[in-house]
Amino acid sequence: MKQWNKLMILGVVIVLLSILSACSEQDKEPPTATDTKTDELVLAIGGEPDEGFDPTTGWGQYGSPLFQSTLLKYDENFNVQNDLAKDYSVSDDGLEWTIKLRDDVKFSDGEDLTADDVVFTYKTAKKSGSIIDLSNMDRIEMLDSHSVKITLKKPQSTFIYLLTTIGIVPEHAYDDSYNENPIGSGPFQLVQWSKGQQLIVEANPYYYGKKPYFKKLTFLFLSEDAAFAAAKSGEADVVSVPPTFANEDVAGMHLVELESVDNRGIMFPYVPAGEETKDGYPIGNDVTSDTAIRKAINIAVDREALVDGVLEGYGTPAYTVADNLPWWNPETVIKDNNTEKAKQMLEEAGWTENESGVREKDGLKATFTLLYPAGDQIRQSLSIAFADMIKHLGINVETKGASWNELEKLKHSNPVMMGWGSHNPLEIYNLFSSKTRGQGFYNSNYYSNPVVDKYMSKAMHATSQEEANTYWKKAQWDGKTGFSAKGDASWVWLVNLTHLYFVRNDLAIGDQKIQPHGHGWPVTDFIEKWHWKE
Amino acid sequence: MIERTVKQSNSCNLRQRTLVTIIIAFILLIGIILSGALIGPEKLGVNLQLRNIPPSFAHLFGTDWLGRDMLARTFKGLALSFGVGLTAACISTIIALVLSLLSSVNKAMDAVITWLIDLFLSMPHIVILILISFAAGGGFKGVVIGLALTHWPSLTRLLRAEVLQLKNMNYVAVSKSLGKSRLWIARHHILPHLIPQLIVGFVLLFPHAILHEAAITFLGFGLSAEAPAIGIILSESMRYLATGMWWLAFFPGLSLLAMVGIFDLLGRNIRRLIDPFHSQKL
Repeated sequence: MKQWNKLMILGVVIVLLSILSACSEQDKEPPTATDTKTDELVLAIGGEPDEGFDPTTGWGQYGSPLFQSTLLKYDENFNVQNDLAKDYSVSDDGLEWTIKLRDDVKFSDGEDLTADDVVFTYKTAKKSGSIIDLSNMDRIEMLDSHSVKITLKKPQSTFIYLLTTIGIVPEHAYDDSYNENPIGSGPFQLVQWSKGQQLIVEANPYYYGKKPYFKKLTFLFLSEDAAFAAAKSGEADVVSVPPTFANEDVAGMHLVELESVDNRGIMFPYVPAGEETKDGYPIGNDVTSDTAIRKAINIAVDREALVDGVLEGYGTPAYTVADNLPWWNPETVIKDNNTEKAKQMLEEAGWTENESGVREKDGLKATFTLLYPAGDQIRQSLSIAFADMIKHLGINVETKGASWNELEKLKHSNPVMMGWGSHNPLEIYNLFSSKTRGQGFYNSNYYSNPVVDKYMSKAMHATSQEEANTYWKKAQWDGKTGFSAKGDASWVWLVNLTHLYFVRNDLAIGDQKIQPHGHGWPVTDFIEKWHWKE
Repeated sequence: MIERTVKQSNSCNLRQRTLVTIIIAFILLIGIILSGALIGPEKLGVNLQLRNIPPSFAHLFGTDWLGRDMLARTFKGLALSFGVGLTAACISTIIALVLSLLSSVNKAMDAVITWLIDLFLSMPHIVILILISFAAGGGFKGVVIGLALTHWPSLTRLLRAEVLQLKNMNYVAVSKSLGKSRLWIARHHILPHLIPQLIVGFVLLFPHAILHEAAITFLGFGLSAEAPAIGIILSESMRYLATGMWWLAFFPGLSLLAMVGIFDLLGRNIRRLIDPFHSQKL
C-alpha cells in the first residue's frame, strides 16, 4: 500500500511531465522560419478566443480583428484614421453620423463590401447582447450602395471608438458558424483553426490596404512555459512571455517591451456594509468605505518597488485606469511611498494603533481580505507584496485566491485585485458611473460621486473628442474632487504591465500603440507592416 | 533465544536499539513541528530586495520570487502537513476501529463492511480523494475530510482479520457462555488486543496522509494558494523551473520525503517494539 502510494505520486508527476512534453511536441509540427527567410511566421502570443472570430459578439474588442476590417482605425499615436470609410461627418447636434465607404473593397471570398454589410453588422451587433454596447444607436440606414447613416438617441462622444473596433462581416456569408469560419475584408483570411492548438491564416488576396509582407501566419496556443520552450528551441518567431522569463537569454531573439494600459489595481468597496444585491450578495465594507483608509493606502504604497519586485522592472507605476491615453489627466500622479504622511492621515481620521500594532477606530479593526483570481501569478504576487507593504501602516490585510465564480459573490464587499485598460474611454464611464453600480464587474465597489457623474455625462455627450477628453480628465481630478487617488480614491491603481515578447532578431515589427488589457492580439494591429530586416 | 543470536558485538540489544531509533525519530519530528509552529509571520514575509537568491548561509533553502525565505516556508509547510496528517490519520483510525468491531456483529454486517473495503480499494486512491475533498467544499476542511474518509480501508481489513481470529478464541467462548454481553466482550477481550495494531496502524497512516495531502494540493484541489503547504510550494515552483530556480522544488520536496521517511521508520520500530509477533512475519 505504501509503495503503491509513492508510486502514485511519482505517477502524477510523470503524467504532468508527459502532458508538458506532449504540448511541446505539438510545436514541432508547424514550420519554422529560422534558417531561410520565408514569408511565413510562427507566433505564440497566447489569447485563443473561446468565442471564435465574430466581431458582432466581441472579437477584436481588445486589439485587431485580423480577418475583418473596421470603418475607422487608430494609428500608433491614437489619431483616428479612415479604414473602410473614405470620409465621415457628424451633424452639429452629434446625433447623425454619415459615413462614406471605399468602393474598392472586397471580402476574402471575392464579393464586394457594400453599405448593406455595414448595416447588417451593426444591427447584428446591437441584437447580440454581447460586450459591444450599441444601446445608444437608434438606427442605421443605407443612403446609397457605399454610404450609411447612423442615428444616435443621445450624442455620444465615445461612439467613434465603436467604429474603430467593430469589424464588418459579410451579410451573404454570415451564419451560426461564422465565428469558426470568418470571412472578412481584413489583411488575413482563415485557413485552419484547431481549437486548443493552433490557428493558421494566410494573406487575403483581395485586401485593399498595404499588402502584408508575410503570406502565412501560424498562431500557436501554448501555456506560458511551453511558449517559452518554443522560443528557446527556435520554433516560434514571436512569443509572449511573463516577466519571470524576460531576463532569460534566448538565442537569436531579442526582447520587445511594449508599454500598455494593461493595469492592475485594487478596487475598494466604497460604501459601508449593510446592503445586499438582488441575488443576495453583500455590498460594502466598513473599513474600506473610510476615505482616510483608501487615501492613506494610496500614498503609502510603493509602486516602483512593486514594478521592480513583482514585474522584474517590466512595467510602470499606475495612477488611473487610463494612464498615458489621450483622455488621461496627468495631474492624477501622486507621490507615493510616503508612510509617514499616510500614518498621519490615519491618526487624524481617528484610526489609532492598538497594542498588537493594528489600527482601530471606534472598536473597528483596520483589517480586510484582499481577493485575487486564483491562478493568476502576477495578481497573486502583487496582492501578497501589497499586503506586506501596508502592514507597517497598521492595516492588516489577508490575501486570498478565489475563482471568478466566487469573486462574483464577494466582489461587492471585499477589495479585489482587478485589471482593466481599454482604448475606449467608455471604460471610465463603466467603472465610475453611479448608473453602472453592481453591473457585472464594472462598478462593483458601488462608487458614486455626483460631480464625477456630471463630468462623465458631459464627456459622453460632447460633440468633439477634444471636448470629451477635457471632461474625462476633470472626472479624474478637477482640482477639488474626482475618482482618482487625489479625490475619492476608490481604487488603488498599482502597476501597468509591460507586454513582453521575444521576437526573432531580424524581424521588424515597427512602432506599436500603447497596448490594452490582455486578451486578443493587440500586437498584430500593424502586422501588415512587419518585415524581415535587410 | 533469538535475541541472543542477534546480539553480537553490539553493546545494546535489539530492543534497546529499537527504542533509541524511536526516540531519535520522535525528537526529529517534534523538532520539525515545533520549529514550524514557532516560525512567526514575520519570517514568512515578503522581501522584494532579496528575490530569487540561490541557497546560501543566510538563506539555507534560498528565497522565492517574492523574497520569501524557503527554509521558513518549508518548515511551516511541514508543520501544516503534520497537522493535516494528524487529524486525518486520527479520524481514519477511529473509522477503521469502529468498522472492524461492527464487522464482528454478524455475517451480514461483515459482508457489507468487506464490500465497502473492496469498493474503496478498487478505485484509484487519488481519484476518490479529489472527488470527496471537492464535494466537501475544498480548502482545509475538504482536504481533511477527503483524507480521513479514504485512508481507513487497509487498516480496517487488518483489524477485521484480527477480530475474526479473536472471536474464535477459547476465552471469548467462555465469556460468551458465562453470559457476558457483546459489548463487554468487545471491551475486555477484543479491544486490548487491537490496541498495538491500532497504534502502529495510526503511525503508518501518517506518511500516506501527508503524501496525499501534498499530491492533491499540488494538483490544485486542496488548500488555498496562500497556505505554505508543501504541495503548493512544489506546484508554484514548477513555473520557475524553466528559469533555473531548482532550489524552489528541490529542498521542499526533499524535506517532505525526509519527514515521511522518519514517520515510516518510527512506525516500523514501534511495531517491532509492541507487536513483535506481527513484525516478524512482515
